[in-house]
Amino acid sequence: MKRSKIKIKVNSEWHELTVPNQKTLLEVIRGDLHLTGTKRMCDTGECGSCTVIMDGRAVNSCIVLAVEANGKKITTIEGLSQIGKLHPIQEEFVAKGAIQCGFCTPGMIMTAKALLDQKPAPTEHEVKTAIAGNLCRCTGYIRIVNAILSAAERLRSIQP
Amino acid sequence: MVGMKEGFVKPRYLINLKTIKELDKIVYSKKEGLSVGSLTTWTDILSSRAILQYYPILREAASLIGCHQIRNRGTIGGNICHASPSADSAPALMVYGAQCVISGSRRERVIPIEEIFCGVQKTSLKPEEILTGFRIPTPDPKSKGCYLKFSPRKAMDLPIVGVAALIRTANGTFEGVRIALGAVAPTPIRARRAEKFLVGKPINDESIRKAAEEAVNESKPITDWRASREYRLGLVRELTCQAITQSLQKDIP
Repeated sequence: MKRSKIKIKVNSEWHELTVPNQKTLLEVIRGDLHLTGTKRMCDTGECGSCTVIMDGRAVNSCIVLAVEANGKKITTIEGLSQIGKLHPIQEEFVAKGAIQCGFCTPGMIMTAKALLDQKPAPTEHEVKTAIAGNLCRCTGYIRIVNAILSAAERLRSIQP
Repeated sequence: MVGMKEGFVKPRYLINLKTIKELDKIVYSKKEGLSVGSLTTWTDILSSRAILQYYPILREAASLIGCHQIRNRGTIGGNICHASPSADSAPALMVYGAQCVISGSRRERVIPIEEIFCGVQKTSLKPEEILTGFRIPTPDPKSKGCYLKFSPRKAMDLPIVGVAALIRTANGTFEGVRIALGAVAPTPIRARRAEKFLVGKPINDESIRKAAEEAVNESKPITDWRASREYRLGLVRELTCQAITQSLQKDIP
């Protein structure tokens, strides 16, 4: 199996790794970097559980090869909280009860983060469109949409 | 990528083209039309002002593909090279008269998009060739159109049938008509008989209905787990009518 050297910046820390070419970014994040907040579920780009932000855009890390991420900046769910304090999006998910079994939550939050970074004041429709690729099989979508909308409001008041 | 993971695609070699910077550019000029690199992502297509202004049908199709995560990674070249009969971008590119720019070890060739499709997931690309991009002429400023996709889910789904239409009218008659259909044959197709029928006909329900009937006659859909052949033919009839009607109602961009 051929291997390649890659350098990726994950949550503001650079990592140099030698990875098999077939390995996915998700496998590197979970297996090599031990950041297990990013979830592996469908493993075929259907469910959004493995969503991370790569160079500012939400991607399904299960269908990105690690070698394709070479030189790129990646944020995982572990990168959101600062000095032990949850990110406002995470706090709103807790406050609004937008978490049931919790398995889709990291992916949902990363998708929401990518959305709010680009569009600080999304409409309800834009939030729903943004999370269209994130499945919650507990079907708690209404609370998730509400949590994202109120996180947007809070973030706007922090950074006007 | 998904095919490799599920084991039904087993390439001997895999070459990463994504680091070729020149292949993800969108360039527009009124004279030359649009040039889109094959590695342009759907997200970039959706944020292009030129595409918003001059190629709204392509934009409509792009907005219906997958979800944010997929549109952030998926490319227009990938959608066409996968050569799925249901590729959302194919009907839109067809009605705009898009051409594929193909580079090989010896020469570059340019072919109409219809000619890149050979069958289900089969293209006319030779082993040493790559699709580098598309050239799309500026549509007639008086033409208008739309892309309609019928799928059970509003996101993350393939069309059971997809229909694109681009229409120009004059003095109460159809003057120029292009209709393309997805997921009704082994490749995306132009509904040429429907197009030919409609040119010169008065704008009324009867002409539109008859044109849709022509589109049904030139469709050869299959029955699969998504839908039966008969259901798809019914959709071709309905969606073709709707696509023509909705195109007529659009404002000229």
